[in-house]
Order: sequence, then structure tokens, then C-alpha cells
Amino acid sequence: MNSLKRYILVSAVFAAVIVSFSCAGRGTPSFYIRQDYDFSYIKKIAVLPLDNLTNEKFAADAVRQVVVCELLSTGLVDVAVPGEAEAAVDKLGLKSIRALSAEQIKTLGSALKVQAVVFGAVDKFGEVRIGNISAPEVTITLMMADTTSGSIVWSVTKTGGGASFAARHFGARSETMSEAIIRVVKEAIETLYK
Amino acid sequence: MSRERRAFIRFAEFTRLSRLSRFSRFALLKLNELSKPSKLSKLFALCFLIVLAGGCATSSSTQYVRQNVDYDNFKRIAVLPFESLTTDEYAGEKIRKTVITELLSRGIDVVEPGEVTRVLIEQRIKSLGSVKTTDLQNTAKTLGVGAIMMGSVEAYGISSGISVSYPEVSINLRLVEASSGNIIWSVCQTSGGPSFWTRHFGAEGLSLSDAANTVVKEAIDTLF
Repeated sequence: MNSLKRYILVSAVFAAVIVSFSCAGRGTPSFYIRQDYDFSYIKKIAVLPLDNLTNEKFAADAVRQVVVCELLSTGLVDVAVPGEAEAAVDKLGLKSIRALSAEQIKTLGSALKVQAVVFGAVDKFGEVRIGNISAPEVTITLMMADTTSGSIVWSVTKTGGGASFAARHFGARSETMSEAIIRVVKEAIETLYK
Repeated sequence: MSRERRAFIRFAEFTRLSRLSRFSRFALLKLNELSKPSKLSKLFALCFLIVLAGGCATSSSTQYVRQNVDYDNFKRIAVLPFESLTTDEYAGEKIRKTVITELLSRGIDVVEPGEVTRVLIEQRIKSLGSVKTTDLQNTAKTLGVGAIMMGSVEAYGISSGISVSYPEVSINLRLVEASSGNIIWSVCQTSGGPSFWTRHFGAEGLSLSDAANTVVKEAIDTLF
């Protein structure tokens, strides 16, 4: 009986080690959240166009649409119509939203009548090769700035995608690109409204 | 005597002769027990169910439906041209047509697409990505509708998986209330990857058009 227990234990440990070293990138996102800020004050948010740091033409727009959708789905905030945010950015003559100053954030806030703006970048968007297979990978950075003070109150970087152990070795189902985007955005926003 | 049983006896004899460890012999003994039909078939059935459950194609979505809105008031809506965020420049128009058909089939009156285009031109709206709330409200007023549907297509094409190709469609739909200018419904819907049967047994999967129809249907289901 002891031999059976030992056999099962060794097998379980071996399996756990293999699986833990082989899982797709499900790492926890690195994020910052300002502790002394009352997020319940934010009733309406504008999601500014994201910076596209990839070679995929529509990466930033595609991720932005999902960010709007996920923020709305929390049910905690309203989101300004995306076109409104784009028009405000154009009106202010901002060529790049990569480095918004506090004054620009405040101006955007009053133009859009929102308490916070979300901006960020898509750092990676595409297929990556893992061994002899390829899998989708997405990396995003999102930031939220309070429009009263112009300061950043939340920031997150999240990577997702890849092929799981089961997908690589046993032909289990792996994520599509669209599913990877949705999951990455969802996990990033969960750090804010958990 | 079954073939497995005879094989086991040969193995047992081998382990005795070769003085394998107690552990190895014990493992072989357990293997023999498992090879009895009832346990083996149960194990196979369990493995099959696990693989099947973990390998099914699923579509995923995220939705938002604003509370305290009377959706019965929106018996007639306008569907704006969708943004195409894919390499297929006509993807937006293809999905828009499917959405209109789906809405009509559910008894929602939809403004003729040509009429919508005419009003957009009259209002000098060139880019749908930067349509302001006031523009939407003016368009709704001119068309005599209570709400306007906007959207985008993030994926529309054949993607390559680990071992098979499959259609991938991902859409985003939003309904904007004309009176308040608020987004009252939003959905992100995407088709899943290839099904278990397609991946492992080469069964016929969905075509791109089928996947698009399914995605639109499931997205509209979240509201109407």
C-alpha cells in the first residue's frame, strides 16, 4: 500500500512540475494603483486612441474597442462614445498621445466631461513561434489619469497568449487571437475593478 | 484467456526472472488490474470526456446592457457602416448586412442603409471613428430613430491554428441612445477556434460566412 502511495505521489509531483513549467503565459500583470484615490468618484471615462507599437495596422484600434467593451461590462462606469474622444484629441491638435502632459489631460477631461481618461499602447500583437508551433501573443499597457489633477492613478502592463501545455502536446484547443485580446484586456481591467 | 492477460503473465515472468524492483512489479500488477474490461473502459470513457470537454470550440463574449432603459422603445433603429479593422476592407460592410438581416428577423425595424449613407454625407461625416455624440444625435433625429447602432469588425478571415485552419470572426457592436447620447448596449463577440472533431478527426468545420452568422446571432441575442 505504501508503494502505491509513493508511486501516486511521485507521478503527481512529476506531472505538476511538467505542467507548471509548460503552461502558456498566464502571469499576473504588473500594475500600479494609487492607494489614496477614490475610484468611486469616476462615473464616466473616455478611452483615448491607443499607441500602436506593432507592425499590425489595426492592432491599437482593435484593442481599444475591446477596452471600451470591457470597461462598460464592469457596470461601474460609463464610457464616452469613442468618436467623441478621437474628435477631442484632434481638436486639441495632439499629434501623439504617447506623452500627455497634466494640462492636456485636464483639457481633455473638461472637453469630454469625464472624470478620467484611459490611454496606453499595444506593445505586441501577433503570432509568436514556440518550438515548432505558432500561437497568438498580445502585450498591452493601459493607464488611467484623473482629469482634475492630471495625474496617473492606475497603470497596468499585461501579456497574454501562447499555446498551453495541453495544446502543444495533446492537441487541446488553444486561444485564437481575438480570444487572447479579450482575455488580456479583461485581466488588465480586473486589477482596477476587482 | 485474453491476449492482454497472456501478455501480462509473460511480463510477470520476465520481472521475476530479471529481478525487477518490487515497485516495478507492483506497477505491472496495477496495470493488469486496469486492463480488466470494466475498469479500462471506464478509464477510457473518462479520458475521452476530459479531452472532449477541454477541446470543444466555444465562442466568447463580453456584454453590457444598461439598466433602467426601456428597450421596447427602440422599434426602429439605424445601423451605421461598421469600421473594418481587418485586412478585408469589406468585412465591415459584410457584417453590417448580416446584422441588419438579423435585426429585421427579430421584428426590429431598420432604416435602409442607403438612407443612412445619405444622411451621413449630408452631415459631412467622413470618418466613422471620430463621430461625435452630437453628430449621432443629429443623425438619429433626421432619420427618426431612437437609437443608433455602431460597430467594428476586429477579425474576419481564416486563421491558422496549431494543426488546422479555421474561420475567425470578432465583432464589436454598440447601441447609442439618441436622447442621452449614452452607450446603452455593448457587446464584443468572437467565434472560437476549430472544434474538437475538426482538429482531431478532420470533420468539416464552419465556413467563414457561417462563423460570421453565428457570431452576429449570438451578439444580438444578448439584447433582443
